[in-house]
Amino acid sequence: MAEADVEHVPGTRAAYPYSVDFATRWGDNDMLGHLNNVVYHRVFEDVVTRLTKFDLGVDWVNDAVYPVAIESQCRFHHELSWPETVTAALRIGRIGRSSVLYHVALFGEGKETAAASGRFVHVYIDRAGKRPTDIPPAIRAKLETLFG
Amino acid sequence: MTETRRDYLHFRPIQTRWNDNDLYGHVNNVVYYSYVDTAVNLYLVDEGGLDPQSSEVIGICPESHCNFHKAVAYPDRLDAGLRVAHLGNSSVRYEIGIFLEGDDTAAATAYFVHVFVDRATHRPTQMPATIRAALEKLLVVPGDGDKADG
Repeated sequence: MAEADVEHVPGTRAAYPYSVDFATRWGDNDMLGHLNNVVYHRVFEDVVTRLTKFDLGVDWVNDAVYPVAIESQCRFHHELSWPETVTAALRIGRIGRSSVLYHVALFGEGKETAAASGRFVHVYIDRAGKRPTDIPPAIRAKLETLFG
Repeated sequence: MTETRRDYLHFRPIQTRWNDNDLYGHVNNVVYYSYVDTAVNLYLVDEGGLDPQSSEVIGICPESHCNFHKAVAYPDRLDAGLRVAHLGNSSVRYEIGIFLEGDDTAAATAYFVHVFVDRATHRPTQMPATIRAALEKLLVVPGDGDKADG
C-alpha cells in the first residue's frame, strides 16, 4: 500500500508541482492558537478547486458533467498559524475512469517541508442523474498535459 | 461498506446552517469535518470533563479522513454517531457517521485521531482518567457487527 502511505511522510515543495498561496485569517486560528484542523481541509479544497476551475476549465454551474468530493484526508505534521501565508500544493496521484486522486500538501511560510499532507478525491458525475460518469475527454487531456 | 446507526454507540444532534451549503446547494465537504470536530469535543466536554479553556491536557488532531456517500443540505437536521476504534495511552481514534435525521444509513463516514498533549509543552501525555473512562464507553471491537444494543 505504498500509495496510501505517501502522506505519512512530509514531502518537500518540489514533490508538488501545482501550488497557490493562501493568506490565513485571524479567525482560522482556534483557541489553541493554531489553524483549526478543519481549515487545513478548506485550504486543500481551495487548491484543488482552483486547478479545476482555472486549469481544467470546469464550469460548476453549467457543465453537464462536473466533479464532487468523495474522499479527503489530512495528516498534520507541524502547526500552522495566522498570520502566515501558507502554500497549498498538489500533484496527481491517479486518474481513473471517473475519478481523480490528488495528493495535497500545505507548507508554512518559508518552509520546505510540508506541515500537512493528504489526499482529495474528485469523482465526475452527470448533472441529471448525479451518478459517476467518465471524465470528459477535454478535462482528461488537460490533466495529462499538466501532469504527464 | 454501508454503515448504519447500529454501528455507532453515541449520537449528537447537528443542526446544519445556511452557510454550510456551497454552490452545489449541499453541505460542503469541508463542513463535515467541523461537524466531527464539534461532536467529538462536545463528548469530551460533557462526558470527559474537558475544559477547552483551562484543562492542562488537551487533544490535538494528527489525522482526519472522510468518505462522502450522499449529499445533505441546509436546513437538514443531522446526527453524528460516535464510536472509538482504538484507545492508547495518549491517543484515541474516533470513527464518526453523519446521518440525516430519520435515515439509517450514513451520509458520510469519518475518522479522527486525537493525541493528548500537555497544553504548555505540546508533548504527548497520558490522557486524564475522566476522559479515558468516557472513551472506554464508546470502544468497539474491530469487526464486531453488533456494536450497539440493537
